[in-house]
Amino acid sequence: MTHIEGRTVRSALLIPRGGSSMSEQNQTETPDKAETEPSAWSLIQSWLGSLKFSLFVVVLIALACIAGTLIPQGEQVSRFLVKNPGHHKALEFMTRVGLTNVFYSWWFATLLLVFSSSLTVCTLKRYRMIGRSAGAVRIRVIGSLITHVSLLLVLAGGVIRAMWGEKGVLQLSEGEIATSCESQTGAPMPLPFAVRLVTFELELYKTPNEPSNVGDVLYVQWPEKEMMVPIAMEATNTPVVVAPREQAGQDNTFQVKIERYLPDFYVDAASGEAQSRSKVPNNPAVYVSVIGAGVTNAEWVFARFPDFTRHKKPGVGPRMPLQFRFVSSEAKPAMGRSQGPVKAFKSTVEFLQNGQVMLTKTIAVNSPTTFQGYTFYQLSYNPEDLRWTSLQVVRDPGVPVVYAGFLLMMAGLTVVFCVGPYLDDKRKGSEKTV
Amino acid sequence: MINLFNAGLAVYLGALVSAVVFLMSSRRLFDIIANVLMSAGALMQTIYIGIRWSEAGRAPFSNMFESLVLFAWSVAVIYLVLRLQRNIPWLGAAAAAFSSLALAHASTYETAIKPLMPALQSNWLTFHVLTCFLGYGGFAVAFLIGIGFLASDRKASTVKPAMRETLDSVMSRTISFGFLFLTLGILTGAVWANSAWGTYWSWDPKETWSLITWFIYAIFLHCRFMRNWSGRRAAWIAILGFLSVLFTYFGVNFLLSGLHSYAT
Repeated sequence: MTHIEGRTVRSALLIPRGGSSMSEQNQTETPDKAETEPSAWSLIQSWLGSLKFSLFVVVLIALACIAGTLIPQGEQVSRFLVKNPGHHKALEFMTRVGLTNVFYSWWFATLLLVFSSSLTVCTLKRYRMIGRSAGAVRIRVIGSLITHVSLLLVLAGGVIRAMWGEKGVLQLSEGEIATSCESQTGAPMPLPFAVRLVTFELELYKTPNEPSNVGDVLYVQWPEKEMMVPIAMEATNTPVVVAPREQAGQDNTFQVKIERYLPDFYVDAASGEAQSRSKVPNNPAVYVSVIGAGVTNAEWVFARFPDFTRHKKPGVGPRMPLQFRFVSSEAKPAMGRSQGPVKAFKSTVEFLQNGQVMLTKTIAVNSPTTFQGYTFYQLSYNPEDLRWTSLQVVRDPGVPVVYAGFLLMMAGLTVVFCVGPYLDDKRKGSEKTV
Repeated sequence: MINLFNAGLAVYLGALVSAVVFLMSSRRLFDIIANVLMSAGALMQTIYIGIRWSEAGRAPFSNMFESLVLFAWSVAVIYLVLRLQRNIPWLGAAAAAFSSLALAHASTYETAIKPLMPALQSNWLTFHVLTCFLGYGGFAVAFLIGIGFLASDRKASTVKPAMRETLDSVMSRTISFGFLFLTLGILTGAVWANSAWGTYWSWDPKETWSLITWFIYAIFLHCRFMRNWSGRRAAWIAILGFLSVLFTYFGVNFLLSGLHSYAT
């Protein structure tokens, strides 16, 4: 039977070696019932709170973490087997013993539970130590206590998330309304409100060949010289004279005018007139007229569909002498055309309750929005169809607890590593003066 | 701008040569020259980072090249601050060699400023990377001291016991500094991840390895302050810890895929 009477407590934590406070740290713990045998509970406590055991558990968790990063996990397993079919048996064995799902396995959860228990006992030990210490040592013990409490808070926040948190993915196309999303298990996750995607926007970085800061530009092109004359959109309704050939003359001078600009072009079925569905540049188009060299014509030029033109009177009038290319900085690329580095992608959504719009927000990467406890994150999009967005939906009541843990952790470590040494140095300085 | 980068590397190499000459000749003039060159190198790197920051319109901490520049800078700055408090004759040569090596390795990567992907467009980038690399810098200096301690702790060594005690104490302090900043780096990364993806911890390889590194140094601190571990054992943990830092930094980027894959 192990007796704990007379056991030396060497754990006045974080006291520098050789410091004059050694007498304060090497105190002898006197049990309340010196003559009685320790209870099973006190033995467990002593075991859980021992440095050797705590560090042993930490080493086990670290080894599990190493395994969890070096061995393919979860969905990676099938991809790994496709590339390395020879490792089938080894991975099968690892799956059986839970090594291909380390961080979500029962044994890793058990390790974390044992770690939490050990941490709790260590925290209580530090709490008891405060009364027995003084000066800089006491400050360090308090700092250490705060740090250990903070770790417990972070772990508690994780438990709260696991118990009461929700996480799902919401895929929406423009105009679509959803009242549920898909949880991680694939089951529907109902939302206490409705969400409607108003619009999805993708912004690309300019490639070197594109204008970087001129906004929307209409290029005028004629094949003979293979040149382009940019006409800034600001010049709408102002005719611009262009001369394709070097020698200006009547047969070589055209007056080009941007007559109309529609950000979201569509043709009204009833009237047959071109109109804009919204102010959002979903399908920007300009109506360009050309007068000169005996030609009078006009056509619609589309930013998203450069190969498609719509004449005012199809099949009527002489052939257009010039070609146009309309580059809109705000235009969404057409389906399958989202090339180049992505600068930003964002979804404007409406949150509805009883058919009423309660909130309209734009969600972007690093800029989530919260409605009724559910936080919506911009997750991804469909590069083949830019009307679709993918949002992560999270309800995590543990976040405030975790963040409180983070703040306490930094406070505790600052006390241990900054305030404690400062007080030590100050004490040493005053001792030298004396 | 690349000229300033090259000049910084050349100045660090000059500091290394001066520091080595000082160690061989014991002439104090070379020690002064080495420290002046180290200060000049750190200053040039600070200006380089500042110009790049201004040109990019964001903190230049987003890829391997930029982070290696930051790593070299943090080791140089931590050494110089340490030099004001303690005089460890060979540490200048070791720090200059480390910073030169980091910059030389950085020069093998693409140096052009690249646009940031959406996930990196956040102010958290500055706090997260800067704090992590200050932590890494502290651990790198502790690693150099650990190696120096093991080299000096031999029977044939002429290093005085007082110097070994200084090395032991400085190693502990730099690890404490590194631990504080690594913790801050992990926490700011967690807050950033939560604002970008809705989860503060996802067992991504980089996150997991930073936790493993954190565990190793936490074990060091507990053993040192609760069990009076010092000397060779402490030096070995400092070396093991830094190997873990290197794997977190390089190994994860090149061998394991995850949320930090863009950092290559």
